[in-house]
Amino acid sequence: MNAPDRFELFILGDDEKKVEWKDETRIPNTATFIFNKEDHTLGNLLSVRLHKYDYVTFSAYRVPHPLFAKFEMRVSTDGTVTPKDAIVRACRDVVQDLEILSRSFTTEWLGKRIVHEGEEERLRREREV
Amino acid sequence: MDPYDVEGGAINVRFLEADSVRGKFLIQNFDLATANSLRRVMLSEVPTMAIDVVEVQNNTSVLADEFICHRLGLIPLNSKNVDDVLYSRDCECDGYCDQCSVILTLDAKCTGDEVMKVYARDLVVSEGRPNDEVGTPVITDPDGLGSVIVKLRKGQAVKMKCIAKKGIAKEHAKWAPSAAIGFEYDPNNKLRHLDYWYEEDAKKEWPIDEENSNIDGLPQDGEPFDFDAVPNRFFFDVETVGGLEPDQIVLQGIKVLQQKLASVIQELTGAEDTNMDGFGGGQSPQMNGGQGYGAPDPGYTTPYGNASVWGGAGGATPFGATPYGGSGNPW
Ligand SMILES: [Zn+2]
Repeated sequence: MNAPDRFELFILGDDEKKVEWKDETRIPNTATFIFNKEDHTLGNLLSVRLHKYDYVTFSAYRVPHPLFAKFEMRVSTDGTVTPKDAIVRACRDVVQDLEILSRSFTTEWLGKRIVHEGEEERLRREREV
Repeated sequence: MDPYDVEGGAINVRFLEADSVRGKFLIQNFDLATANSLRRVMLSEVPTMAIDVVEVQNNTSVLADEFICHRLGLIPLNSKNVDDVLYSRDCECDGYCDQCSVILTLDAKCTGDEVMKVYARDLVVSEGRPNDEVGTPVITDPDGLGSVIVKLRKGQAVKMKCIAKKGIAKEHAKWAPSAAIGFEYDPNNKLRHLDYWYEEDAKKEWPIDEENSNIDGLPQDGEPFDFDAVPNRFFFDVETVGGLEPDQIVLQGIKVLQQKLASVIQELTGAEDTNMDGFGGGQSPQMNGGQGYGAPDPGYTTPYGNASVWGGAGGATPFGATPYGGSGNPW
C-alpha cells in the first residue's frame, strides 16, 4: 500500500549525499554532520570513537526520527583539527583496527579449524578400532 | 599476565569453538562501540542470497500462493562468493539476469496415496549463474532433504519459478546470514554496568556463563572498584543459517563496516574538492548540496572498491589542505 520501500533504509535517494555538514556559527570549531541512510551502527561507532582524541572536546549523535534513516552528529574540537578532519581520522583509525582484527581472526580461525578436524578424525579412528 | 591475552595490548582473537555452523571466539583489546557495530553489521548488513520473486505457474496444494512464496523466501541458499552476484537494482538488465540472480524451479506432483512432502532438495537450479555455488539450497540433514516447503495429497501439484537475488537483512530478514549472534562482555559484572535485581542474593539467583566468567577472571573478594575501567574483551558466538560459513559472516561483516567507513571518508575528503572547484575556494562549506562534480557512485556498492579511499595513498585530499573552519571563522 503506502508503506515506504524498505531499501530506502540504506539506498541513497537520487540527489542525496552520504554526509552533509554545516558549521555551527554560534560555537567555535563546531560542525553538525548529517549522515543519510545510516543508523546507530555508524552513529555510535563514530561519536564514541571521537571521545578518544584529545583535540575533540565534544561529540554526540541523535536520530531525529525513527522512521527516517538518518542521524545527526555534532562535533567540537579545540581548533587544532577541524571537526571534519577529526571524523576522517576516526574513520581511518577504525578501519585500521578492523584490519588488524580481520587478520587475527583469519589466522586463529584456520588454526582452530585444523585442531577441530584433527580431533574429529581421531574420534572417528577410535570408534573404528 | 592474563593467560588469555598473550599478545599484550594488540587487538587479537581467541577461538573457543570453530566448526561449520558455529564460531565462538573472543576479541581482546577492542572497544565496545566497534564490537557492537560489528555485531549489528553481521546481523543486518552482510549480503546473502534468498528467493525474492516467485512466478506461480500451478498451485493446487492446500497452502495459498503467498504462503508458499514466503516459505520459499526463507529457505537458506548458499551464499559463498556472493560478491560475484550484482544487486538487481544496480544491474543493467530489466528485472533479472545471469549476473544478478539465480533461478530455481520447483515442479512437484503427488501421484501416490501417501502424503508427499516437497523439500528444498526438489528445487532445481538453472544453468547460468554468477558462480558454481551461489544459490544452491542449503541441505545439512543426513538424509539430504533440506527444509520442507509444502505437503501434497494425491493429485495436488506445485509448479513455480523462483528468482533468487542478493540482498541484506535490513531489507528483509530472509537475507540474514546468522541464526543468532551471542555477544557479551564483563561476564562477572566487574564494571558494574548491570544492576542485578534480586530477592536475597544476586549471586545465587542469576545464572552465569561459567566458561566466559572464568576466562574473564573472577573478581577477588574486597577488590576495590576501578572507576576508569572500560570493557576490552568481547565474547562472540556466531551461528550460521547455512548460507555462509561462520568465519565468512564475521569477515564479510568486517568488510561491510570498513566499506561504510570508507564511504564516509570518501564523502568528507572527496567533497572537499567539490567545494574547492564548485564554490570558489576557501569558503567554509555550507550544507554541501554540491553535485555534478564527479558524482560518486549512486549505489552503495563500491566505496571500498575505490582503492584510494582508506588506503591512505591516492586521490584523497590531504588533511588540512583547505581552510575549512579556519579563515571563515571569526574566532
Ligand atoms: Zn541483472
